[in-house]
Amino acid sequence: MSQSRRSSKGPGPSQVQSMDVDEEYTLTQTQTSSQVQRNLERRSQNQVEHKVSELVQFLLVKDQKKIPIKRADILKHVIKDYKDIFPEILKRANNIFQQVFGLELAEVDPKNHSYILISKLPPLQDDGMKEDENTPKMGLLIIILSLIYMKGNVVKDSVVWEMLRRLQVECSGRKHKIFGDVKKLVTEEFVKQKYLEYIRLPHTDPLEHEFRWGSRAAKELSKRQILQFVAKMQKKNPKTWMSQYNEAEAEASGTGRH
Amino acid sequence: MAEGKRRRRPTEDMGKESSERKSEEGRERRTCIGQESNETTRRLIRQQYRQLIASCQQNRDLMLSNRGDKLTEALEDADKLFAGVSEPREAALDAQFLVLATNLGKEKANQLQSDMAEFDSIAFAEDLLTYMGINRLEREDSDSDEDQNTSGFLPNNAWYKLGEEAKKYFRRAPVFHFMLGTFTADPPVEKPRIERQRKKAGPQEETAMPAQLKKMEESHQEATEKEVERILGLLQAYHQEDPNTPISYLEFVTDPRSFARTVENMFYVSFLIRDGLAGVKLDPDKLPIIEPLNPEGEENDQDSLLRKQAVISMNYEEWQKIVETFEISAPMIPPTTGTQSDAEQS
Repeated sequence: MSQSRRSSKGPGPSQVQSMDVDEEYTLTQTQTSSQVQRNLERRSQNQVEHKVSELVQFLLVKDQKKIPIKRADILKHVIKDYKDIFPEILKRANNIFQQVFGLELAEVDPKNHSYILISKLPPLQDDGMKEDENTPKMGLLIIILSLIYMKGNVVKDSVVWEMLRRLQVECSGRKHKIFGDVKKLVTEEFVKQKYLEYIRLPHTDPLEHEFRWGSRAAKELSKRQILQFVAKMQKKNPKTWMSQYNEAEAEASGTGRH
Repeated sequence: MAEGKRRRRPTEDMGKESSERKSEEGRERRTCIGQESNETTRRLIRQQYRQLIASCQQNRDLMLSNRGDKLTEALEDADKLFAGVSEPREAALDAQFLVLATNLGKEKANQLQSDMAEFDSIAFAEDLLTYMGINRLEREDSDSDEDQNTSGFLPNNAWYKLGEEAKKYFRRAPVFHFMLGTFTADPPVEKPRIERQRKKAGPQEETAMPAQLKKMEESHQEATEKEVERILGLLQAYHQEDPNTPISYLEFVTDPRSFARTVENMFYVSFLIRDGLAGVKLDPDKLPIIEPLNPEGEENDQDSLLRKQAVISMNYEEWQKIVETFEISAPMIPPTTGTQSDAEQS
């Protein structure tokens, strides 16, 4: 867990979320670990395993919407009377995700404790998965994420709308035939899913916002990958954009993605 | 950088001028002659500053664009205005504008950094469109009247194609699917909505139902009341026919053809007695007689009189004996419906 949290040092305020929150969390974790072991001994192994599989199932179903799953919800709906051994249940569930499903449980918001599932396996080329309604959304999303990264990790909302307009996606008025209400998709759905952050700029009239990468984006893709995408689209060498290239390489070597 | 220099250069030149003017205007004010016009020019300057600031804020994107030199132009305008500034109030506005211009300058500098890295979002957009398989020949035609830049020229699968490519870059966990596909997690949320809509749609049905129920209850209650009233009417009629002969209670209630009717009659008559509309007494032979009472006259007495309760029992044999003894051939209270008594007969 601590390793995956360290890698959250991506663009966006996951960086800003102060270290003391992290420390506090690990502190409470170490404090309770001996207690957890003691509590664990009191439970039958069957009961514990049952809770673990319940948690795995709960997270798989919850992940369908891609909205980070709050720890409070997990405790309320699944863990219930087993709160005293929650860290152990979570650890075992994560083992199952890694060994059985090739997924990984990652904490995206150490402050409010919410979790997401990310794939541990490299994406397959032409995996033959059937096209679902999310496929075009991922295209839209990667464009916005690319734009943010290439423009120095933060862009004004007007820049994004202008970009989409160039791609024949109007953000106001008529509904787009694939995306429906584009503005809602970008500023609400992607934001709730933590792919994007949409922050209101203070003292602007008319209102202005800026976009940054959300904490899920930082977990699901790296700067190096986004640069590769841009390079592929523009048929150029990633080194064309020297500063972005250096930043991506620094991230790749510095924080050591799993 | 360039803006900064330009900004400073004219001010140095203007500085002398404005200080000269300042002393000149000061002298004017002391003489109290041009004070009014001075006030007007000051107001004009303030208004111009505010306009400049507002236009900078509104055209932020234009100011930041690489084409044209709007920021420099704005700074030059401000310098011209500053020449006429003599009082702190106008100078404060100048300072306010300078803060804004500095921020814009900073943003431009940031832009410069990525501009150096040559990321051109317009070119990126074009390349994306190419990747998605846009038909440019047709698009060029529509470009002439720019606004009609509709999505008709992108093939239908354009966004799917890009989406498929995009998926390769995400470590997105594949979502859990139900095998037959139709089962999603959403419907439970939608169900109550449908119910609410239905309720709104059919208020008529709702009102129709209780109305029907009410009627049924009423008719049931009414049946008893009507029967009690009918029996009271009969009793009063018999009494009026021959006020001096007391009516035998047993003869009055007994229906020789039906034990059930007899018991029913006794039940209805008990209401008359309870409500003080009829009284039961014993005649010299110790047999019960019934007579109607005047409810108005009795009312006062009823309150003063102690309530008495009596139970009359009757079983099938007793009924048969009564019919024989009193030689009752026809009921004094005829049944309301023939069918009912017929059924009792058999």
